[in-house]
Amino acid sequence: MQGKLPGAQISANSGAPGGGFSVRLRGVSSINQSSEPLYIIDGVYVNNAQNATGAGTGPFSGATGQTAGTQDQAPNRLADLNPADIENIEVLKGSSAAAIYGTRANAGVIIITTKKGKAGKTQVSVGQDVGIVRALNLIGMHQTPWNVDKINKGIWLVPNSTMASLFAANGSGAQTTDYEKLVYGNTGVVSSTRVSMSGGSENARFFAAASHWNETGIQKRTGYRRTSLRLNADFKPAKFWDVSFSSNYLNTSSDRSFSGNDNNGVSLGYNLAYLPNWLQLKPTNGVYPENPLTGQNVLEIVDKTINNEKVNRFIGAITSNLYMLRTDKNTLKFAVQSGLDFSQQENVVFMSPDIQYQQQRANPGASRFTSTRAYNTNIQGFLVYNLLVNKFNLTTSAGLTRLEFNSRSQWFQAEGLPPGTSNPNNGLVQLSNLFNNRSRDDGRVIQQEVNWDDKVIANVGYRWDKSSANGDANQLYGAPKASLAVNVANFDFWKLKPLNVFKLRVAYGQTQNPANFGGIFTSMVPAAIGGGTGFVTPTSLGNTTIKPETAKELEFGADFALFSGRFGAEFTYYDKRVTDFIDVFNLSPGTGVSSFSVFNVGDFKNNGVEIGLNGDVLRMKKLRWNANINWWQNRTEVTRMVIPEKAVAATGFGAFGTQRQRVGSSPTAWYGTPNVNGAPTRYEDAQPKWQLSWSNNLRILNDFEFSFLLHHSHKNFNSSLNQQLTDEGGTSPDWSNLNKDGVPVGVARQLGQPGITTRQFIQDATFTKLREVSLYYTLPKKFLEAGPLKGLQQVRVGVSGQNLFIWTNYYGYDPEAANFGNRPTIAPVDLLSFPAARRMYFHLNVNF
Amino acid sequence: MKLIKQLLVAGLFVAAASSCKKELFEVDYNLDPNAPPSDLYLNNATAQQINALGVGLQSVMRAGFVDFTRNAAAVGREVIFSASTDNRYFTELLGTNTAALGGANDPTGIFNGYYSSYSQTRRRAEQFITAAKNTNSITAAQKSSVEGFAKTVQAFVTLNLALMQGKNGIRETFSDYLTPGDLLKPGKFGTYATALALCKKYADDGLTALNAAGTTFPFTINSGFAGFSSVADFRKFNRAIAARIAMHQADWAGVLSALNGSFLDLTGNLGVGPRLIFSTAPNDFTNGLFHVANSSGAPYVVFNDVIADAEAGDRRMFGAGAKVGQRLDANGVPNPRQSGAFTSTHEVRMYASNVASASIIRNEELVLMYAEAQAQLNATGLAKTAIDLVRANAGLPAYSGALTTAALVDEVLKQRRYSLFNEGHRWFDMRRYNRLASVRPSGLIGTITFVVFEAMARPDAEVQWDLLNP
Repeated sequence: MQGKLPGAQISANSGAPGGGFSVRLRGVSSINQSSEPLYIIDGVYVNNAQNATGAGTGPFSGATGQTAGTQDQAPNRLADLNPADIENIEVLKGSSAAAIYGTRANAGVIIITTKKGKAGKTQVSVGQDVGIVRALNLIGMHQTPWNVDKINKGIWLVPNSTMASLFAANGSGAQTTDYEKLVYGNTGVVSSTRVSMSGGSENARFFAAASHWNETGIQKRTGYRRTSLRLNADFKPAKFWDVSFSSNYLNTSSDRSFSGNDNNGVSLGYNLAYLPNWLQLKPTNGVYPENPLTGQNVLEIVDKTINNEKVNRFIGAITSNLYMLRTDKNTLKFAVQSGLDFSQQENVVFMSPDIQYQQQRANPGASRFTSTRAYNTNIQGFLVYNLLVNKFNLTTSAGLTRLEFNSRSQWFQAEGLPPGTSNPNNGLVQLSNLFNNRSRDDGRVIQQEVNWDDKVIANVGYRWDKSSANGDANQLYGAPKASLAVNVANFDFWKLKPLNVFKLRVAYGQTQNPANFGGIFTSMVPAAIGGGTGFVTPTSLGNTTIKPETAKELEFGADFALFSGRFGAEFTYYDKRVTDFIDVFNLSPGTGVSSFSVFNVGDFKNNGVEIGLNGDVLRMKKLRWNANINWWQNRTEVTRMVIPEKAVAATGFGAFGTQRQRVGSSPTAWYGTPNVNGAPTRYEDAQPKWQLSWSNNLRILNDFEFSFLLHHSHKNFNSSLNQQLTDEGGTSPDWSNLNKDGVPVGVARQLGQPGITTRQFIQDATFTKLREVSLYYTLPKKFLEAGPLKGLQQVRVGVSGQNLFIWTNYYGYDPEAANFGNRPTIAPVDLLSFPAARRMYFHLNVNF
Repeated sequence: MKLIKQLLVAGLFVAAASSCKKELFEVDYNLDPNAPPSDLYLNNATAQQINALGVGLQSVMRAGFVDFTRNAAAVGREVIFSASTDNRYFTELLGTNTAALGGANDPTGIFNGYYSSYSQTRRRAEQFITAAKNTNSITAAQKSSVEGFAKTVQAFVTLNLALMQGKNGIRETFSDYLTPGDLLKPGKFGTYATALALCKKYADDGLTALNAAGTTFPFTINSGFAGFSSVADFRKFNRAIAARIAMHQADWAGVLSALNGSFLDLTGNLGVGPRLIFSTAPNDFTNGLFHVANSSGAPYVVFNDVIADAEAGDRRMFGAGAKVGQRLDANGVPNPRQSGAFTSTHEVRMYASNVASASIIRNEELVLMYAEAQAQLNATGLAKTAIDLVRANAGLPAYSGALTTAALVDEVLKQRRYSLFNEGHRWFDMRRYNRLASVRPSGLIGTITFVVFEAMARPDAEVQWDLLNP
């Protein structure tokens, strides 16, 4: 989906196997709540949480000083799903389209439908893919030359004299190791096997699929495994009744190692940056030489640590349509849809006591076991009445919906583990935590559609929602919607026949997003001393007057099609305003209360343009070429705030740049030093100025199908510490180049040097990626009619690649990486995240 | 027939839907499933809950300890937190970026943690007093003891806050800590002098309350206060803090009068005094100033000037049991640490583990305050006697310099530098006597200029608050 969908900004949080990603439809939908769209798969509101693993906490990478946080580099749960089962994806980008989904649809809705059975002879399809994974781009840190002069001019983690004697003791650079290549330069292998069957009778159809995906990463001992079983069945017990079941069991496991922010020397990118190529760190007889610079041997982290995540998940749904009336002119049906999503996520993070940095901790040896159980359910019932009079098709619907969310996350951590075990039971210092999360949303909907002979299509609706996350759980918040589309070309007066579609449309709709769970509570905080447990009053207060934040979107558009649909074009402009957006209200810290945890603090707006062009460029007998060009842009601006201007939470590190909420400015823009009269300086925006995607599908000689997709993101800026880290470590490739004052650039660029401000760290991350290329060959029918392949329905072979090339001037592994995971304001903060991967596959698919 | 079937199926769904509605155990979504609501503690608290609030307040007395000590020791050029992966501890905090940041550290950066911590403890103490007033489960004398304890804690943390903010002043007035609406109207910033006057008021009000407080507190006192856990003994701690406040006010008669009620002992053990204790138990604090000896990860290392300026034979700096030690590698070879522009041969060795306790205030400091006050009041003989007590304890010969106020104050500051090393005093001592310009190392070092802050920056959140609420 990446790069294909106009209006969407999709970014990977890290390139680690099974890695998470983040989707923004039409800009930013929230500042502090979720900006991720709502995902509905076969009627199930799926869980897309990003659960903490502890990998970023003190005993591990130490990225955060707290015991839990946003710097764990964890994936979001949507990454579990198996793309091979998907039949169709419908994207409702804005509130105008998503209004009927009401609550939690502020950021748009992505509706995924999986494959269904087809009546008739049972079809069996078997597929096998094999592929390789390589790093898309390495920095070349360890090809940077070293000499005594460089050591004398630099500022290192040890005194220059010590650095010089280390250099001499390690052979003065005579023997170097490309550690970056050693760590990230491996070739991963992917194998994916799929079997599916489809068949049944008119009254009972099934689709069943099993698949297994297994991949190893570009780094040793990383990888991802997923087993998926699916059974979809459709029944027609009576003429007036149909029922569908959809069920999917998933089991995944990923080994992700450690990347991103760090304070212990554990994160590999971070550690590599400070590692000179002449330092000898390869193990001999299982003993890893100590790294005297960062305090941690990087190869030891690769070889001995564990950061594993296992997920067991079941997603099931039942859909029923009961026709109470069905004549030529009237239908009345009672439609019920109910779904559940159960997932059990288990994380293990483990550092054995003999690891170098652990030996410098108070209690060496640490592990944390986290278990997150989530159980979400949804049920909705609708009465739908359809009436056909003359050329008017009228549909009236009314319904009730309910969503319930219930999860519990527990972790158990120990430090001071003896050698030979990872079970925290054996540890000296044990810590544990349990967190419950539960909420419920109820909705009521009415809707009226009018379709006049496909010439005019109008729709009005209203939805009321209440949520236990609101200050008043019984208050219904209303949200109207209305849309009108006129197919000008369908009217009789239209004479310009080649232009056979000319559609003008306008739509307005509202959606809501309740506050995060817990926002209404003001609860005591445990604080112990001397063996006694006490309580103190909270520093973050609940807010019992909190209302949902509301998105109101007005959209205009026009669609065109020429020559019976050979060429088409779409233009859309939208104005999406989020009012009463919810944020932490930071109080004057001098009061001793840090904040109201949720508060309706103001408004912001997104304006954007989406343009899509598609067409069969060539329609020759032996060559058909279909091309699709999408161009889109979005601008966000805060228009009202009742709270003081502030940095957006978890969007950066002080002078390295943070995003800021300021009236009249974009919440995704970067701010930093110099501070002028106490006010930080504004820099560029993390949102791209515009994006362009170009996808192509060529059918050659009927049997070959060639596709590729290029994606360009223009003038999106990251807060990047990559250069700073490699400059401090002496591993920037251009380190020794002299600036005009004769100082090595590797020194002059560092924070703290004269003239260095945040400007240095807000980096242009413009890129063009060749995201997908594929070539498939379908064996001509004649080979299947006789010979060894007789009896097979279809044989298809192909090769494909993902992320094959990138064109960018960005310094780092991936211009799309995000240290803090899925933040509502995107916040691409890059601290040498796990490198993005280039993937190449060979495919074989046989149907019989 | 068809109609009956239809009704049957429809009825089934309605029944299924309504069975969802009437759950056996209806969940109360208004109740926090993770922690008790604060109303339960602030109104009609039971004796048990009062005990929990008392224990909680003692626990959060340690909040801010690491940040405060670490920042003050760096700015006062005693100790660097040499974090290998974050150079801001030895660039920004040592004043490399003051021009771009508006005069001190980054107001949005990582060095503002102490500010929230101390402000929060101050408020929590206030709420403890309110909870005690709002219940009938304890006696009037017990209520008074809660007030005396809490006000003393407020005096202690507010002084640290005022010291860090210096000339910026702090917010002093709050119409009511408990009403959320009033949180939106905090008082304006006062001056450094009014901040110190507020600290004095907290201490004096605490004393008044303790005088009406009976003999024991209605909550468990932690073992760090061994010897100070009765109301009468805790009063001596209150006066010790009052003396410290008076010293910063340069109110020398006030220092002596406060010391008079404190645990000052001019003949006894200099180490006596209450301590912050630590443990690894859940919800407890560990001592973040601990580091494993000779580690290369993020050790606390000493500015070389501190060692160079020490007198030979000073047991505080040299030999076994000293507060610092030379860094050695695995082979016992000297292994200096580089922190940006600074090389350190020595590291801090004050805490043997991450549960080692830390002094809040002790007789040694009281003796030195006594000496300073006497010197300032021209009682040079009394000052010298007190100084010699500290010198002897450090293994040094008696003071042999001039018996003038100026010389004796210099000597007191020197002894304070080593007696109270890395405890958050040196920077403020230099500031009290307008000697920040002489704090070394500072100025141009290599290509970078290092500026000794006059005060930590006012946090950005406060600046923004006042911009919106003029």
